[in-house]
Amino acid sequence: MFNYYLKLGIRNLRRNPILTALMVITLAVGVAASMSTLTILHVMSNDPIPEKSARLLVPIIDSASLSGYVPGERTERQLMNYTDTKNMMNMNIGADRTAIYSIRTYTQSSDPSLGLVNAAGIATTASYFKMFDVPFKYGSAWSVDDENKTAKVLVLSSPASEKYFGQANPVGQTLRMGNDDYQVIGVLANWNPLPHYPNLVQGGDHFVGEDDFYVPFATAIALKLGATGDVWCSYATPKPGVEGLMDSECVWLQFWIEASSTAQIPQIKEQLDAYVNEQRKLGRIPRHEKNELLDVNDWMEYLQIVGNDNKISTWLAFGFLALCLVNTIGLLLAKFSSRAPEVGVRRALGASQAEIFKQFITEAAVLGVVGGIVGLLLSCACLWVISLQTKQMAVIAHMDGEMLIVTFVISICASVLAGLLPTWRACQVTPAIQLKSQ
Amino acid sequence: MLTMNNLSKVYRTHMIETHALRGFEIHVKEGEFVTVTGPSGSGKTSFLNIAGLLEVFTSGEYFLDGVDVKNLDDNARSKLRNEKLGFIFQGFNLIPDLNLFDNVDVPLRYRGYNSKERKDRIEHALEQVGLASRMKHYPAELSGGQQQRVAIARALAGSPRLLLADEPTGNLDTQMARSVMELLEDINSKGTTILMVTHDPELALRSQRNVHIIDGQVSDLVRVTSSLVAA
Repeated sequence: MFNYYLKLGIRNLRRNPILTALMVITLAVGVAASMSTLTILHVMSNDPIPEKSARLLVPIIDSASLSGYVPGERTERQLMNYTDTKNMMNMNIGADRTAIYSIRTYTQSSDPSLGLVNAAGIATTASYFKMFDVPFKYGSAWSVDDENKTAKVLVLSSPASEKYFGQANPVGQTLRMGNDDYQVIGVLANWNPLPHYPNLVQGGDHFVGEDDFYVPFATAIALKLGATGDVWCSYATPKPGVEGLMDSECVWLQFWIEASSTAQIPQIKEQLDAYVNEQRKLGRIPRHEKNELLDVNDWMEYLQIVGNDNKISTWLAFGFLALCLVNTIGLLLAKFSSRAPEVGVRRALGASQAEIFKQFITEAAVLGVVGGIVGLLLSCACLWVISLQTKQMAVIAHMDGEMLIVTFVISICASVLAGLLPTWRACQVTPAIQLKSQ
Repeated sequence: MLTMNNLSKVYRTHMIETHALRGFEIHVKEGEFVTVTGPSGSGKTSFLNIAGLLEVFTSGEYFLDGVDVKNLDDNARSKLRNEKLGFIFQGFNLIPDLNLFDNVDVPLRYRGYNSKERKDRIEHALEQVGLASRMKHYPAELSGGQQQRVAIARALAGSPRLLLADEPTGNLDTQMARSVMELLEDINSKGTTILMVTHDPELALRSQRNVHIIDGQVSDLVRVTSSLVAA
């Protein structure tokens, strides 16, 4: 019977094209408004590494001084100082650990025509690439041995590699950074997670751009490569340069722990608490705040990557969709009411109320499919217009397969929802009255 | 085929109660052609609606082909209506957006026949009423008489045991009315029971039995059979 009802649904939509067009446009506009904002929200709040986001953890320790301390107030300092970073790197905590800080420096390749290029990158450990599942196009990450030897090696992003060395495999080539020559040992494949979750605090824009290069953390520290990201100091102002930061309680390093499984997280938390207590005994970390372990999604929530205005916009857009639905209900009521004689005939010929319900709700769903197609086109148009506004929006405002399916599901659900009352009314038609009145 | 015992139908509003049928008794045998007559407001339509399972009655008993319909739910009533009954209305009640083939197809869809069986039945039913060549036409392209023939074909397609006709010739001119009546008589002669409401005394005389309703009850005063008329 479904095919029969589908055929009737399509036929009945074509019967009154103006009314049908009104309903489709009403539904499509509501769907487009809600899907455009939902798509942006979806991209912004997207889980960038769903297979292990629950196991990648950022420890939050409030290591600030007592100056301005308000007990119970959640710390706004999301980074870690060098002392804690170094200690925790050496602890047997979690399955893996990494530390990150941002660097900006002048670079020069063997191609003299390029001249000096201002490049942004990060200093990190070899475990970074494994923890964040970073794919390689050429070569590989450096080894622990390289770190121990503070080797001058680096990994380039794919666009940076093309910029310095063209399409050729640059592994083995050298790149001058600051005053030193670094050997290229790897080039990443296209890898640009949105948002740039490994380095959200120091990495500049959360969605636009990507790191040009990656150098070993130990090498960067040894060569005193300056940190260019955020630094928070609640104690005395540190001495200039990275050395000053290393000797201070200022926080400037992003630290990550990977748990072998989510079951290991409580153990990691215990280790973290034990470490902080131990440091307190040594006279550090005077604030008695609760330490936290945030996974990738909690971390993005903590940093409010998706602002409240985005969430409010989405709610407003869904409110608009609800408004469109109310209009669609009215139009469907008018359309279905005019079909009362047909309902009477069908009931007389053996259709139960349930069959009438199926027929009319299928017709409403057909409307949803058409509304979904038009809504999808309108959504794409809206997203295109939005993408023209800013660089960030150009990255964010695009529809993926998942949202495409969601658009159709929302459209069909919305039209079925809108069709419930008119369909119910159609089922209540008294056949005897309709048959006599014709 | 159809038995109603002491049946009543009361329409209630918060102000008034209207007794459309009271103590209504009727027994229609299989293969009979029974006409129902009576003045306006006598309860003919209520009787036909209850007989056609389109309305529920207030009290009494109603057996359709041996089935007690009193406590049936909507699904069961719809199934029974679809399998046992065929309807012919004064206003034809064809669905204007469907061609003749699809109009006749409607009751067969609810019966759950496969497409081949439906096609065979539709073609046969339209052949019976002489409209097989016009099955792709729409109702608006036909005359009133032809539309009523389509309605008859639709009623016949499911091979009903009982055909309920509500003034089937009321909207037709004399010639068309005669033609439709002849068709109904032909159908009846092949074994289908027919219960027809009419205002036309001539048509009532042509049936095997006439039941006259006055004030919601079968009147004992007027009972006409074709044999008496012939006599």
